[in-house]
Amino acid sequence: MISPDVLALVTTLKMAALTTIILLLIGTPMAWFLAKMQSRFKVIIEAVVALPLVLPPTVLGFYLLIAFSPQYLPGQLWQQATGQQLAFSFSAIVIGSVLYSMPFVIQPLQKAFEQLGDPLLEAGSMLGAGALDRFFNIVLPSTKASFITAASLGFAHTVGEFGVILMIGGNIPGETRVLSIALFDHVEAFDYAQAHILAICLLAGSMVLLACIYLLNRPTTKVAKGQL
Amino acid sequence: MNLSLNFQLDFSPFNLTIEQTLSLQGITGVFGHSGSGKSTLLRAIAGLEQNLVGEIFLDDTCLINHSDRKPKTFIKPEQRHIGLVFQDSRLFPHVNVFGNLKFAAKRCQNRRVDFNEIIKLTELSSLLHKQVYELSGGQKQRVALARAILAEPKLLLLDEPLSALDRHAKISLLKLMLNIQKQLQLPMLYVSHSIDELQQVCDELLVLSQGKVIGYGGIHQMIHQLNHTQDRALNHAQDHTQADDYLHQQTSLSLPIKTLDNGHGLAVLSLSSAIDESQEIYLPALVKNTESVHEQTLRCFILASDISISLIEPVSSSIVNHLFAKITALNSLGNKVLVTALYGDKNKGGGEIKGQEQIFFINISTFSQQQLALKIGQSVYLQFKAGAVRTYLY
Repeated sequence: MISPDVLALVTTLKMAALTTIILLLIGTPMAWFLAKMQSRFKVIIEAVVALPLVLPPTVLGFYLLIAFSPQYLPGQLWQQATGQQLAFSFSAIVIGSVLYSMPFVIQPLQKAFEQLGDPLLEAGSMLGAGALDRFFNIVLPSTKASFITAASLGFAHTVGEFGVILMIGGNIPGETRVLSIALFDHVEAFDYAQAHILAICLLAGSMVLLACIYLLNRPTTKVAKGQL
Repeated sequence: MNLSLNFQLDFSPFNLTIEQTLSLQGITGVFGHSGSGKSTLLRAIAGLEQNLVGEIFLDDTCLINHSDRKPKTFIKPEQRHIGLVFQDSRLFPHVNVFGNLKFAAKRCQNRRVDFNEIIKLTELSSLLHKQVYELSGGQKQRVALARAILAEPKLLLLDEPLSALDRHAKISLLKLMLNIQKQLQLPMLYVSHSIDELQQVCDELLVLSQGKVIGYGGIHQMIHQLNHTQDRALNHAQDHTQADDYLHQQTSLSLPIKTLDNGHGLAVLSLSSAIDESQEIYLPALVKNTESVHEQTLRCFILASDISISLIEPVSSSIVNHLFAKITALNSLGNKVLVTALYGDKNKGGGEIKGQEQIFFINISTFSQQQLALKIGQSVYLQFKAGAVRTYLY
């Protein structure tokens, strides 16, 4: 019998990994689009993307809960397509996390794409490189550090999520019971010893992850110094 | 190769309107001051400016044909087989020199040029494994040039590739450009705001001012035409604050070399004419170095302010160059006069006509013009020191 806390850890890692992959896949084109966009609607889209940074997670969770319920269209469509209810499922907390962690992935990428600008891309096209070729062989290697930052921040932020998951996921072991919720359970049950263990693990894990990001980003700053 | 341009690009308040066909052979220069539209012209040819209205043809290939902002034809920059060397080199910082060169070579379909040969030609073998940030400005531009050539373009555009370099680096890169042009027979369109550089390497010159073509023709002829220009943007600046941009009135020449060094520290060029077949022009001796002086002719220029006029033959003078010429025009501007004089008037020679006519430009003060009572049609002696015959490259 697997310990409930280990199960929560597995659920957390699964959710965070999936969320990060989805965010990189949809966030990269969105960030690119935003970086190149010149329309005046750009600020509106940017504001929407940044909204989860300031919005109380419970607000987002509340609206998602309503949207995911079988009474409303998104929930209905999901139920027709998969035969399962969307609210209080693993899929629901992944969708919630994608929305909630979106600014953490899109913002660093957008900034990197804006900073890269057109000069190197124009140089690439003058050497015969098409659009995809330019993206994979110029943009991607030049902004590698920002991709690592974006992925790590997205992952770490998803691991640390609480409010949204509580609202739309509930507390189903092996499905929606993640570490932050397990910790909350221990505290509610006055099991401070278990709570301490989980809290210290989350703290240490986040610390190590952030340290790794800064470590990985260091060589590029060295190059930048060399150029000055 | 013909490049036919007929388009407008509107960046209000700046507007570039070009209607010109260029016959691209050798190196064609594009001259103009900053803001004249020369870089924008190159970007339009390269395909990096998509909002133009009009058309551009390279021989029979339509590169772009837009009318009223509706694209009919647009060949993407990566499919045009046109190379562009940028002012700021734009090397990829995530790979080293070798990686930059390979980037171009990998994407080239024809493989007519040999990778190692280009590296040798551009003298990059010792730099291949350096990172981009370790290179000097001149080295960066050499890599950028090699990279552009390895993509095997049909036409190479050079957008002020030398402007950020010191004189020494400029000269070696200009020689390299000439060498590459000769070896690969690659037509080039070379943008610069320095007439000295253009005079050395270009065969033809296109002059732009405020978004319009104000002249196109042979290099010497165009430089001489610029002596007379009243164009406000191109005008001969009165202050010398921007020494590089200062457009000097000058005589531009290509002359056959007789000797590189006559034993007295002077080189000798021949300026033969109907009157005198053995007229020589002296200038400081040229250093013989490997590639430069297989040349039969030398490009040189004499500033109009470096030539003086004498009514009698200056036989007892330390000034080694004196020519007998006839004044054909006098243009005064303020208290200065630009004298145009023709050397080797064919009509005077009689009988068999040999050699060439050569026009010279002389700048004197109104005071001197009045003292000497100079008139059109008058014959005078032009004199200038050996040191006044300048050449940028050697």
